[in-house]
Amino acid sequence: MLSSYFQQGGVLYADRVSDWREAVDEVTRPLLDADAITGGYIDAIKTSISSPGGTYIDLGGGVALAHARPETGVNRTSLSVLHVDEPFDLADDAAHPISTMFCLAAEDSNAHIDLMQALAGLLTDTDRLAAVNTASDADELAKALA
Amino acid sequence: MKIITACSTGLGSSFMTQLNIEKALRNLGVDGVETDHMDIASVTPTSADVLFVGRDIAEAATGLMKDVVVLDSLIDMDNITKQVAAALERHGVAVPGK
Repeated sequence: MLSSYFQQGGVLYADRVSDWREAVDEVTRPLLDADAITGGYIDAIKTSISSPGGTYIDLGGGVALAHARPETGVNRTSLSVLHVDEPFDLADDAAHPISTMFCLAAEDSNAHIDLMQALAGLLTDTDRLAAVNTASDADELAKALA
Repeated sequence: MKIITACSTGLGSSFMTQLNIEKALRNLGVDGVETDHMDIASVTPTSADVLFVGRDIAEAATGLMKDVVVLDSLIDMDNITKQVAAALERHGVAVPGK
């Protein structure tokens, strides 16, 4: 069940963010507060997104999976999500509008398979994904992710 | 037959794509195809038979292997299933559930 993998307080809803950098700051904050990641991990995600090809974390369907390498600052495998009512452009690229950004902190390349299975199950289910993308408050979002 | 996926970190987008390809293989009724995910820098021409990548690293993936499939969406199961079936047929693997 996907909801069991979210950091406590890690399901966030906002009307809008000023840009993708603010989205990264918002979605990583619960993980930073819980010491699941360090500040270095947040910097690594921003550097990755702004690098050539950095929009590869856009999975399609308005969903992005923000992540970086474990050695840049993952203390513990964890997950958070931010849904915004008004989409923002990933890397300021209009070809990549994002309304739901997950943040994955993974300790290594394989250990988080159960989490990824649950996340893949949600994102490839068009009805469940639509419920996430049309959530209009934090409660609806949490229900859609359950 | 081996299919691999790659992204810059080798643990997020590529892992998700690998799991979705495995689901496509199950839907197609195909057994015995090996899958894996890795970072793009680790891919060599002999890593697998087919490499799947997202559109944003298509350029970096060009020429890495003979058979490279570029996906616009990493979560669109209809297209992923279609692309996997086509890749299997290119490599002579029968696809019962097509």
